Order: sequence, then structure tokens, then C-alpha cells
Amino acid sequence: MATVFERHRTSNLVRLGLRPDKWDVLMALAGNPNVGKSTVFNALTGLRQHTGNWPGKTVVRAEGAFAHNDRRVKVVDLPGTYSLQAGSTDEEVARDFILFGRPDVTVVVVDATRLERNLNLVLQILDITDKVVVYLNLVDEARRHGIAVDAERLERRLGVPVVAGVARERVGVETLLDKALAVASGEIETAPYRVEEHAPEVEGALGTLAALVEESFPRIPNARWIAMRLLNADEAVTEAVASGELGHLGHEATEGTVPPEAVRMRLVEEARKLRWDLPGDFHDALVERTYAAAQEVAEESHMTGLKKAGFDLDRTLDRLLTSRWAGFPLMLAILATVFWLTIEGANVPSAMLASVLIDGVHPWLRELGGGIGMPWWLSGFLFDGVYLATAWVVSVMLPPMAIFFPLFTLLEDFGYLPRVAFNLDGLFRKAGAHGKQALTMCMGFGCNAAGVVSTRVIDSPRERLIAIITNNFSLCNGRWPTQILIASIFIGAMAPAGVAGLVSASAVVGIALLGIFLMFVTSWGLSRTVLRGEASTFSLELPPYRPPNVVQTLYTSLIDRTLIVLWRAVIFAAPAGAVIWLVSNIHVGGPSVAEHLVSWLNPLGLLIGLNGVILLAYVVAIPANEIVIPAVLMLTVLTAGVAGGSGAGVMFELDSAAATGEVLRAGGWTLLTAVNLMLFSLLHNPCSTTIYTIYKETGSAKWTTVATLLPVVMGFVVCFLVAQIWRLLG
Amino acid sequence: MVDPATALVVFSGIVVALGALFWPHRGLGARWLRLRRLDERVRLEDALKHVYMCERKGQACTLESLAGRLEVPLSDAADILARLAHLALVRADTDAPELTEQGRTSAVQVVRTHRLWERYLADRTGIPAGEWHDQAERMEHTLTAAEVDALESRLGHPRWDPHGDPIPTAAGDLPPLRGTGLMNAPVGSTVEVVHLEDEPRELYDRLVAHGMAPGVLLDVLERSERKVRVRGDGRDFELDPVAARNVTVRAVPAGQRARESSMTLADAGPGETVRVVALSSACQGTQRRRLLDLGVVRGTEITAELRSASGNPVAYRIRGALIALRRDQASWVLVERVDSSAGAVA
Repeated sequence: MATVFERHRTSNLVRLGLRPDKWDVLMALAGNPNVGKSTVFNALTGLRQHTGNWPGKTVVRAEGAFAHNDRRVKVVDLPGTYSLQAGSTDEEVARDFILFGRPDVTVVVVDATRLERNLNLVLQILDITDKVVVYLNLVDEARRHGIAVDAERLERRLGVPVVAGVARERVGVETLLDKALAVASGEIETAPYRVEEHAPEVEGALGTLAALVEESFPRIPNARWIAMRLLNADEAVTEAVASGELGHLGHEATEGTVPPEAVRMRLVEEARKLRWDLPGDFHDALVERTYAAAQEVAEESHMTGLKKAGFDLDRTLDRLLTSRWAGFPLMLAILATVFWLTIEGANVPSAMLASVLIDGVHPWLRELGGGIGMPWWLSGFLFDGVYLATAWVVSVMLPPMAIFFPLFTLLEDFGYLPRVAFNLDGLFRKAGAHGKQALTMCMGFGCNAAGVVSTRVIDSPRERLIAIITNNFSLCNGRWPTQILIASIFIGAMAPAGVAGLVSASAVVGIALLGIFLMFVTSWGLSRTVLRGEASTFSLELPPYRPPNVVQTLYTSLIDRTLIVLWRAVIFAAPAGAVIWLVSNIHVGGPSVAEHLVSWLNPLGLLIGLNGVILLAYVVAIPANEIVIPAVLMLTVLTAGVAGGSGAGVMFELDSAAATGEVLRAGGWTLLTAVNLMLFSLLHNPCSTTIYTIYKETGSAKWTTVATLLPVVMGFVVCFLVAQIWRLLG
Repeated sequence: MVDPATALVVFSGIVVALGALFWPHRGLGARWLRLRRLDERVRLEDALKHVYMCERKGQACTLESLAGRLEVPLSDAADILARLAHLALVRADTDAPELTEQGRTSAVQVVRTHRLWERYLADRTGIPAGEWHDQAERMEHTLTAAEVDALESRLGHPRWDPHGDPIPTAAGDLPPLRGTGLMNAPVGSTVEVVHLEDEPRELYDRLVAHGMAPGVLLDVLERSERKVRVRGDGRDFELDPVAARNVTVRAVPAGQRARESSMTLADAGPGETVRVVALSSACQGTQRRRLLDLGVVRGTEITAELRSASGNPVAYRIRGALIALRRDQASWVLVERVDSSAGAVA
């Protein structure tokens, strides 16, 4: 028989989007950004985790489950925040979960190297709930920097258990769990530190109101905090008071603790009246007081007498990596190495995958289909359409991503990437963007969908939208092969044989640089027009350098980035393959649908220096840029009546660039077509995986539309202009 | 194949046409929007607001002042007043128009919408301060009462607009005007700015350029018929009576004086440690909350530690963490030197 308390909590949890599984202990994980909170989460849950969004929000939520001492624990990872003032969506989500979800225990992960800043959040959480355990993470790093924290003294001061450890090496994790479960079950009673004695003009109103709250809701553990939030006109808290929900937010609330409506409304009314007498900088005063308390606690808990190593090594490294003369060259060298490793390293596995999946498995599947008497249209649809497109995407996409993402994540974990953002911020600021856009842009060179996901590191709404919308200007690895192939067939061929490779490579790099240039121009334009009203807050934390954890990096970058993106791409590529096969094989009044479409698109295509085949290929290849060239070849053979190919609807590639060039030239291609194709490959709508990702990340159809249409309109205009000028001059 | 020259001409034509339609401020679309603003409702509401503001400030409201405020001929102003009287919003039988109870309620609603919208722009958007007023002038005529109430609770029932004006509650409650004009402040006293009039824009911009904002302390140095000389944030400057009338101040407890220097965090040299005195009130909304959350509060000691390769941003050691701030953010943080001997000053 569920108690009233249980019923309320369950309904609140459902509202907060929690899956109603069975568990004994509900644990929340809170902390500042960059304190290793996700490391703790992974250490606790391993693979048993599930990510989704908070209901109605674009904030990601991770939850997981594990067992400890025969008790099933459900753990919810809250967004990393600097405070719980509910000033941003992240803060609102975290605050609401702790207040209304009433976790049995909240574990606050704290970075020992930046104790004071972290304690600000701890103190705010202690204001709301007394079921808290503090995990003092990164004590090894702190010691390296000459900082040692006396966990016992900190524990006495905060009044809740403090466990020191190193999450990366699982040090202290078992103790943390023991303490957390003991707090949850009530075995350990806590006496949380509460910030008392605010400035007199605040204290007057606060004291009056807190006494009233206490009187009306005698069983809640945080009357002063509730009073403070009422004075701040916090909507959620005011609503909880007015509806009486607050009466169910204690630990062992029983029926009869909800006061009558008149009493509740009087409380709300009283708060409204008191607010007019508060000083204008009321909020500033509260933060100031909390920080003063954090400073006091931190100073008492820091051990003295240690050799003052300080951040000497970090400082030296920072001076070098951000210096005027060495900063940029070092950055270019490091990033160039990453890209070189990716492109070179991916060649071999890509070719292997292609030979197995396309040259090996595909004919085998067709034979199998014929062997078991499958009708030609079914085997065509399944194997030539769906299978082939999927295989193509996997073989082109997987190897570079599996190399690029781990390398990039290693640089991130080491702490170098924030320095890149720091160095480049001057440039991006002038374009109205955030320095971290340099990182999301680099990520976009790997994959635009991953680039869009990575914009989560930008915590300013306007700059994040700019980064999302302009990410498509980074030439992703699905488009590099197209660029390289076309450049070597048409542009390299014009140069003397000795320098052909160099010329075509320069052409491709030129296109990539054009993309970066357009990214800056578009960012500048967006920040001054459609996005100028969005809120903007810059802050960039430079975390201490730390030795990266290679195993964990491989794990998270493969699971979180590579496989998720690949999975989404496959989901979209399979139906695209089906469509390509169908339009080539369904005939309407003689010619196939593809032929009808191509001749219908031809006038527009030729006007802008392309042709109908290319436009149709880009329409059907919305799901994946990787299949543009195979689709173009297949359609050219189909519509231009050129000999070759593997049949209607069967995409193919040719072994030599020269042979490909022959097919294309027979299809009417000129140098202008090639140049415009390279431009159009840079400037067209993002692939459907990216569009879907943009929608998931922004939660807005409007910005998704802008991000989709803006580049394709630019592509049409640029190709059109180039074509007309080319024809005028030629 | 279309002739390339023809194609280019047609294309330019389309671009010019689109530009003419959508160009900000001067395009046909923008002009049409402006024209639509001048419809009757807008004029009536602006007139009501004018009568209300006169009443609240205790100034005389005349047909001339109304015509001046609305920038219309006297005859039009008279028509508008007659219309308001017909709607029983003002009593026009006296020399100066007076609000009826119903008229006051409507006027307060318009003022409430205006100030809430300014608060919204300051807190939740990146629109520069100079544009708040004009946008609010537009929005005050378009939002419904229900929308305004929803906005108010979303913003956390703010009490003051970003210029220091109180925001009327849904019930129309408003505290009495605080403070007095700067021209009335005694010489030698220190006062706190509580409100800056945001109209006319030129005057407001000049006040802001002097570093004036609600919360700033001023020492009154000298006063005559023609000017008042004050010191604020380490700067001495003079204001003529017209400008001074737009500044409302109130007395501060004895012992408080205006700041001696105008030093901000952006002025801290490499390696220098400074202590935070205050956050400028030019820094509002999410920007302000972020700085506070990072620990930039009164009394915090901050060291300028690292310059980026391009010189801006600069990374500061704040409460143990290394945080990069841009120059304009750093210049919102008013600071004092901790130890005059430490650190080289550029």
C-alpha cells in the first residue's frame, strides 16, 4: 500500500520523465561542469545506462542502474551547472529534480583543485535537501598542484559525509556508495551546513517569511530556502506552495501536513508584499553571502604546509600554447596532424570494408536471392537498393570517424581544446560567435551531425545556434572523397602530370578554406540579423591539464559519438537506397521515373552550371553525401545511354579516375560542371542525419529550417553566378 | 540555354526587389510596419500614458504637452483627447485633462507592459540597451493582459525595469516614486542614482556615457543655476539642469562615498591581483548571473593570469578556477588594487 508520500513522489518522477522501473534507492548526481561527473557516472553504471532528453527540454539526461550490497540503485545524472538559481534550463532541470523528484540521496561531485567555486553549488544543494554525500574528486591532481583538502574537516564543517577519491581510477567509489546508501536509508544522519545571517535588510524579510513557512508547513526540511525562493518569486516554488504540493516534499510527510488554502495563499501574498522592501541587488547579496561561506569552509579545509607546487607546469604549458608567436603555429601543427592521421589512416580500412561489403557480400547476396528464387524486383530493391546504400555509407563513414573522434577526444580530455578556443576567440568574437565554435567546426570536418552534437559545449544560446547553423560549412568526411575525385579528374588533369596531384589537392583545400570563410561571414550575418535577439553569455573555463585516460576515451568516443552517428546514418541511408532503386526501375510511359526527373531538372541544372543528374543525385542523397558519386554515375549511365554500369538502380564506382572521367564527360560534363559540383558539394543542405540532429538539439522547427535552407540557397546563388560569369568570359 | 547576361540582369532584379522589401529600417516591409503602428489604438494609448506620467510626476498636462509628446499638430491632439473623453478614459471638462479611474487602469497596464518588456529584453535577450525603449514602445500596444501576466511570472515577477522604474503589479500597485532630482541634492553630499529617464534618447546616451546607471554613487561637488558638477567612479563631470533633471537620486547612509577610481578588471595588468568592488549595472540578465555564479562577487580576489594569443580574451584566476573573460565583460567588473606594489601596470 503506497503512502501519500510515495504516490506524490511517483507522479512527480513520471512528470520529470523518469522511467518507472523498480529500484530501492534513487540517486541524483550533481556537480559543476568539468569535474569528472560523467566519469563517476560511468564508474557507477558501466554499460547499463540510457540517455534521453528531459521532458520538453533539449537538455540531455542520462540515467543508469546498478546494484550495491543487494540494493538496486537508480542513478540520474543531472546537467553540470555552476548554481541552482534556475537561471538557465540546465539549472532549472537540476533544481526541479532535487526539489520535486526527491532523490533518496544526492551525490555532489566536487573538484578538489577548485574547491571554493564547487562549494558554492554544494551549499546551494544543502539548502534544499539534507540527503547529500560529497565526492571530492581529483585529489591526485590537486596534490600535484600542491593542494590538499582535509576531507574529515570538510565533512565536519558541511555536516554531510565527504569521500575523497579519484573517479578515473575508481578510488573511493566503493566508500562513496556505502555512505550514499547509508544516507539514503537514514543510517547516517546529516546536519547540513546552512548559510545563516544574511545582510540585515535581507534577513528581516527572510526571517519573517521563513517563520511563516515553518509554521504553515512544519515538516519540510528547508523552510529558509523556500522563503528565499518565494522572495525571489520562483515560479515553481510559489506554485508548490500555492497548490500545497510543498507539504509532500518532506522525507516522511504524512497526511494532514498540507495547510488549508487560506494559509497557503496568505504565505504567497506575504512574500509578494515583502519583496517591495528588498534591496534592488537582493540576488547579488545572496550569491555574495554563499560565496563568502564557501570561501570560509574551503579555507578551513585546505591543509597547509604542503610544498607549494602551484600550477607551475600548467602555467609553463599555457604560456607556450597561448603565446603570440607559438600559439597559432602549434595549433595548426596539432590539428593538421589529427586530420592527416584520419585521412591516411582511414584509407586502408575503408578500402577493406568496401571490398568486403560491396565487392564481396553484395554479389553473394544477389546470387543467394537468385538461388532461392527471389523475384528480380525484390532482390533489386533489397540488395541493390537498401543494402548497397547502407554498405556504402558504412564503408566510407566508419573508418575516419573511428580514428578522428578518439583523437579529438584525447585532445579534449588533456585540456588542449579549450586553449584552442581561447586563442581563436578573438577571431570568432568579431564574427559574433564563441571561440568554442572552432572546436565544433573541427568536429564538423569529421561529421556534421557529430559537430552539431558537440555544440553542447557552447553554453550561450545565441552562439550555440550560430555554431549549429554554420556547422554545415565544414566539409565533412562524406564529401571529401567527392571533392578529391572530381578535382583529380577535371582540375588535376589540366596541369602537367608532375604537379597534377598538388594542383588538385590545392583545389580541394581551397574549397575547404572557402567553407571556413563562408562560416565566418554567415556567423557574422546571423549574429546581426535573425539571431541578434538571442541571449548571449560568454565564459570559457580552462581546466587544468590532465593526463587523458585512453581506455575510457576510446570507449566514450566510440559509443557516444561514432556508433550513434553511424546508426543514425544507416537508418537514413537504407530508405535512400530503396528510393534510388525504385526511381530507376519504375517506368512511366516508357522511360523510368529517374529519366523523367532528370529531364525535368535539366534546365535548372544547366542554368546553374550543373545538370539534372547531379540535382537528382543530391535530392536522393539527402540522407548521405557518401552516395552522391555512385548515384551520379549510375544515373549518368542510365540517362545518357553510356555503356557500363551494373544496371538500373545499382550504384557503382569505377576503379580508375580516368574511367570515371570518361563516363562523366560522355554525360556532358565540362570543367564548369566539375567546379560547380565542388562548390555545390560544399554549399547544399545538410544530410538528413544532420538535419534530424539539428532538430533534436535545438527543439525548433524554425532554426532547423534556417539551417537546412540557408546553405542550399547560397549554393544555388554561388553556382548560378559562377556559371554566368564563366560563360560570359569563356 | 539562357543568355548569361540576361540571366544576370534578371537575377540582379530579383535581388534588388528582395532588398527593397526586406531591408531593415528602410525597406518597404519595415515602413509598412511603422505605418501600421500609427493606428488609432497606439495614439490613444500613448496619449493616456502621457496624461498618466504627468499625473504621477505632478506636472501639468496640457494640450500642447500632449501634442509635443505625440509629435502631432494641436488639432489632432485635441481630436485624440475628445476621443478619450468619449471613451470615458479622461475628463476633459477641466483645463488640464485628468484620468478617470478606468483611464488610470488602462494607462497603468500600458506602463506595466512597457517596463516588463524592457526587463525581458534586458534579462533574456542580447538586444543592446539602447534599443530596449523603442522595442518596448512597440510591444506595449500589442500584448494582451494575459500575455503580460504570463511574461511576468516567466521573468520571476521583477520589481524594477532596467532603468530603475518600478513595474506596476497586475493589480496596478506601484510604490511611490523614490528619491529626488539630482539638481536638489545638497553640495558635499553623496547620493545613489536610483533612476535614469530613458527619453529623450540623446540625453540618456550622454548620461550612460558618463558611467551613470542605477546604483552608482555620486559625490555632489558643486552646484549653480546652470550646472551641477559631480564625481562618480573616479570621474568628475558636469551636467546641465536639463540632463540633471533626468537623474533621480536618493541619500545614502553617512560614510559612503563615490568610488575614487574607475578601474575595472579589464585594466588589471598581467599577473596583477585585484579585488572586486561591484558589478556594473550595465551588466544585466544572464550575463550578470553567469559572472555571479562563477564567483565574481564583491570581495573576490582575481588575478589576471593569461593572455590569449590574440590578446582578448584574458584568462583570470577566479576562486581557484581559470576562466577566460572577454574585454567587455571584464570592464563590467569594478575593482580596486589589492596591493599597490604588486604587478606591473601597463
